[in-house]
Amino acid sequence: MKNKYWQRLLWVVFLALIWQLTALSGAFSKMIFPGLDQIFLALIESFKDGTLIKQIGFSLSIIIQGLFLAAAAALILALTAYFSTAAAGLIDTLTALAHPLPGIALMPLILIWFGSGRTAILIVIIHSVLWPLILNLSTGFNSIPEIYTLIAKNYRLNKFEFMYKILIPASLPYFISGLKIAWARSWRALISAEMLFGAINSLGGLGWYIFQKRVFFDLPGVFAGIIVIIVIGVTVEDFIFKKLEAKTVKKWGMLK
Amino acid sequence: MKSYLELKNIDKSFKTENGRKTALKNINLQLKQNEFLTILGPSGCGKSTLLKIIAGFIKADQGQLLKNNKRLDGAGLDRIMLFQDFEQLFSWQKVIDNVAFAVKAAAKNEKKNLTKAQIKKKAQKYLSEVKLEDYQNYYPHQLSGGMKQRAALARTLAAEGEIMLMDEPFGSVDSQTRQELQRLLVKLWQEEARTIIFVTHDIREAVFLSERIVLMQNEPGEILEIVENKLPRPRRRSSGEFNQLFEQLQSRLES
Repeated sequence: MKNKYWQRLLWVVFLALIWQLTALSGAFSKMIFPGLDQIFLALIESFKDGTLIKQIGFSLSIIIQGLFLAAAAALILALTAYFSTAAAGLIDTLTALAHPLPGIALMPLILIWFGSGRTAILIVIIHSVLWPLILNLSTGFNSIPEIYTLIAKNYRLNKFEFMYKILIPASLPYFISGLKIAWARSWRALISAEMLFGAINSLGGLGWYIFQKRVFFDLPGVFAGIIVIIVIGVTVEDFIFKKLEAKTVKKWGMLK
Repeated sequence: MKSYLELKNIDKSFKTENGRKTALKNINLQLKQNEFLTILGPSGCGKSTLLKIIAGFIKADQGQLLKNNKRLDGAGLDRIMLFQDFEQLFSWQKVIDNVAFAVKAAAKNEKKNLTKAQIKKKAQKYLSEVKLEDYQNYYPHQLSGGMKQRAALARTLAAEGEIMLMDEPFGSVDSQTRQELQRLLVKLWQEEARTIIFVTHDIREAVFLSERIVLMQNEPGEILEIVENKLPRPRRRSSGEFNQLFEQLQSRLES
């Protein structure tokens, strides 16, 4: 495990070195191919004057809000589908129709209906998260061992007890893998939505930040933004979700 | 014999691709309170189906299930099932919490309020009965197969139902562990007032455990014979009378 991280770090250093050598060689103009030194200067500058921190804060707060709302809605919908066959048909149909639809295709509509503010971005995120989460949760609920439903009958659990004592914990591996997909999809959707919807009082998130830097032809700034996007993405996927898994499904032997 | 639990004319058939198949035909059975009964038969004889009907998991097509002359409907904590499958333990809960699950369910069923400390104490008591007190903070996946079944047995005991239903609970463990679990079960049954219906296809297991053995045959699932088992306890598997009964049952099942 440790070894894997060292290996990865080594390759990152190697790639950075090639980047820097290419930049130094003068084969491309510094305007379109900035060196790492310029990129880091831009990064430090943007952190210092607080703009980058504000944009990160904007992006993270909106994505956390979106994930939270979508997870709650997905849980309610998947549970409803589990307990009611009629609702299952409707939710299944909705999911089948909406899941393959890229969020970006909805943007013109969202722009007209909700304008270009925070709400609009939030809706794009929820759309990108809700459907895969419902799919995963439903699969999880429907694949719990039959023995658990017998135990629930035997120990006279009511629906609510069955739900939180058995159904949800038993399908937690599916929920977590759904969240991972949801995170990946929403992070991508967020950045594109921010670029399209632009800023509210110059606060438009990381997507807006790099878009704006491009307008001023500030390539080091664009790369600084991209680096931040990568670092956040990798941190969440490799550390936060790994930790969550280690504390739950791995500890319980549900995931090897 | 004053009957405690009574099965009257139970019939059950299932729909299959080749039409309806009779799983159980005209099952009549009476149990005394605190009796240890085994149901012995080849696979497919409907013994597990019969146990599920007694548990209230499935309904019989015909017939009645009576306890103290009152009709039983649906499942309940008075008839707790111990399964063969290791999955019956909740993998997300420590062993003690798995047992506490049953303690809480039993308390709620009897409308009693227990404090956290009382629940824990009770769960620990049942864990020590199956000699797992040192493993209370383990998760199920950290236990061996035999230990898992002991933990599941502790949970079944903790439900404090009068009747315990056991569906080949020791069928997935090695033979040495199996004998150990059988001795433990007999000891627990002798110490506590419980009625046990134990389903198995292992003749020696039936001879070792129970006071009466219900022999079943398949197609259709019917009771062939009910054999009294008066072997003195502790029973020794190497004794002549043990093997005599074994052979008697074996030839009866083969005929």
